[in-house]
Amino acid sequence: MDTHLRKKALLSGCLWMGLGHILYLKQQLKGALYALAQFAVLFFVAFEQTAEGLALNFNGAIVKGVRGFITLGVFNPDLPVRQRDHSIFMMIDGLICLLVLLVLAILFVLSIRNIFKITAHYKATGGELPGNRAFVRSVSEQAFPAIGLSPLVILLLFFVILPILFSFFLAFTNYSFPNNIPPANKVDWVGFKNFVDLFGGGQAMWTGALGRVLLWTLAWGVLSTGCVYFCGMFVALALLNRDIKVAPVFRSLFILPYAVPSIISLMVWSNILNGTFGPLNAILKQIGVIQTNIPWLSEIGFARFSMVFVNTWAGFPYHMLMVTSILTSISPDIFEAAGIDGASNWKRTRFITIPLVLRQTMPLVIMSFTYNINNFGAAYFLFSGAGSTRGPSAADTVATNANGIDIVVSWIYKLTMQNPQKFQYAAVLAVLVFVVLTPFAIWNYTRTKSYKESDLL
Amino acid sequence: MMKRTRQIPAGRIVSAVLIHVVLIIFAILIIYPLLYVMGSAFSPSSSLQGIGINPFPQNPTLIQFERLFNTTNYKVWYTNTLTIALMVSCATLVITSTAAYIFSRFKFMLRKQMMIAFLVFQIFPSFVGMVAIYVLLLRIGGLDTKWGLALVYIAGNIPYNTWLVKSYMDSIPKSFDEAARIDGASNFTTYRRIILPIAKPILTFLIITSFLGPWMDFIIPRMVLRSEKQLTLAVGLFQLIDGRTANNYTMFAAGALLVAIPFVFLFLIGQKSLLTALGAAGVKE
Repeated sequence: MDTHLRKKALLSGCLWMGLGHILYLKQQLKGALYALAQFAVLFFVAFEQTAEGLALNFNGAIVKGVRGFITLGVFNPDLPVRQRDHSIFMMIDGLICLLVLLVLAILFVLSIRNIFKITAHYKATGGELPGNRAFVRSVSEQAFPAIGLSPLVILLLFFVILPILFSFFLAFTNYSFPNNIPPANKVDWVGFKNFVDLFGGGQAMWTGALGRVLLWTLAWGVLSTGCVYFCGMFVALALLNRDIKVAPVFRSLFILPYAVPSIISLMVWSNILNGTFGPLNAILKQIGVIQTNIPWLSEIGFARFSMVFVNTWAGFPYHMLMVTSILTSISPDIFEAAGIDGASNWKRTRFITIPLVLRQTMPLVIMSFTYNINNFGAAYFLFSGAGSTRGPSAADTVATNANGIDIVVSWIYKLTMQNPQKFQYAAVLAVLVFVVLTPFAIWNYTRTKSYKESDLL
Repeated sequence: MMKRTRQIPAGRIVSAVLIHVVLIIFAILIIYPLLYVMGSAFSPSSSLQGIGINPFPQNPTLIQFERLFNTTNYKVWYTNTLTIALMVSCATLVITSTAAYIFSRFKFMLRKQMMIAFLVFQIFPSFVGMVAIYVLLLRIGGLDTKWGLALVYIAGNIPYNTWLVKSYMDSIPKSFDEAARIDGASNFTTYRRIILPIAKPILTFLIITSFLGPWMDFIIPRMVLRSEKQLTLAVGLFQLIDGRTANNYTMFAAGALLVAIPFVFLFLIGQKSLLTALGAAGVKE
């Protein structure tokens, strides 16, 4: 029995990943795969693809990518615009290279952990090594998960993780109109400047706009979630009342707003609520409720009310369905027992049904809250109808592009897609959304059944 | 002898009447905008002002549909959206159901970490990474193509739906798989013959929701698709009413109607499977 086996394997394994497995642990196959991974990465570090072929100058694609990520290119006004360094491309390429290096680092840690595992086994069994056959067996056991998950991992890596990382890093640059739009100009790292601008009053107008948008986003999240939830619950309870004769008719009718694509309902409503030509004002005038038009979408108070109202219109059917499905699953015994105790209809609803439903739908309410906070459509399409303004503007709207009804996500959209583009501030807001909502999602998850029952955490 | 009569307490009558009144108000609020958009679609007038408040037009006509088909690319938008929706729906079904099965039944490296990461990704609206997605698609030649847009949707669908389907599959007893294994079934056969049939309600839900997504989304197609030939319905219809001019409203209504009707049918047909799936998805406690 070799007492120095672990030391030797670790030493060689650190020298070149997988070497320890090949030389000392009799797992040549696994070791070769590890070694190959390191070779592939080092190849793209060491060799540069030039016009004459490969050149060994330690200036390969990965080195270039990482360097580009650090410098974000060089500003060279003598070159034509198309040939200048494109900071944003360099940043994304650099991120991809960093991801590749990260994967290699994870592999390295795994290989070292594996050495510990094998040598521990070696010690415990008095000199037994698992060998290549054990490796092949474990691979064939893991082949189904590995193959099944690979498309998912690739898609997530590039279309979900990379964009999130990118917008995180963007928050520390000055990528914005008019002076830092590549390729004409270059983008630079600016540290925490954007955070100071927005949160610390570095740009007073922007800090003011941020305060307004944040307050309204929060109020919007609470109001909209509360309204859809309680309307949904009310309708569900009402429809289960034994005195309601045509409940199925009502139910099919009430499901309609859920069936219509929300973007279409929002655009339809933006026309109905139109202050000048909209039918709502026309009806109210005709029945004599009002004399002059109500600016449903262009005065801040009315506009916010309209947002919540239309969102309730579109969103309550989902909650109605949910509460109905919970209520039908509650055992009738509970109600019978309450009936024997002499509880009245109302008391039964108040003390048994509502608490039960509230408890069971809590995860749903939190989910609905995070959904509404991110509900771009309600703040954008409702204010896009023919001839209408873009919503009530505030004093700083011209500079900051945020008006009275903008919530954080719609502001992010405007900062990214409309002039003047301020990508860096949009990225700061994205980081903010992420930091605020992530604990909600995780906390919500820890309350669910699948968390409590599964072996996951 | 006194005749027994069924006495309904007065309180119950009052509350029943009140509930009826509220429900009828709700019904009017819901039905009016829908009737209004339907009426507008058949109205001869082209602008919002010309319609008035009566949802039923005086002399209904199909002129708006003719305008829609002759002066815009509506048919192209419709087929584009349909193609994208079909691609997304199929790919999401295959990728997420396989992943959910694996997460539900297998133990492997980084499993926990991946599931928690999914949870976090799912709350992050996909358009905050727009710029990166744009550059990425530019690099792989996916800008202004249907498959490029579909890829973005498919990736965005994965985290939430994998959770959803996994928690449904967790509720299928493991003894079912074991019985199949003893009979010599492979992983794939067990998945296809045992798990998929039982998971049908949640998979129906998955197909429907992932199919519907592209019809409603606006931000990503607005960014990814540039040419008029590639537009999807949401972007195209939005263009109709977005202008400063107010004379396309009824044409928009006609277009919206042609999208909404198949949707409503799908829903009314699938109501039952929807309820089952929603129950499984939301009621986790």
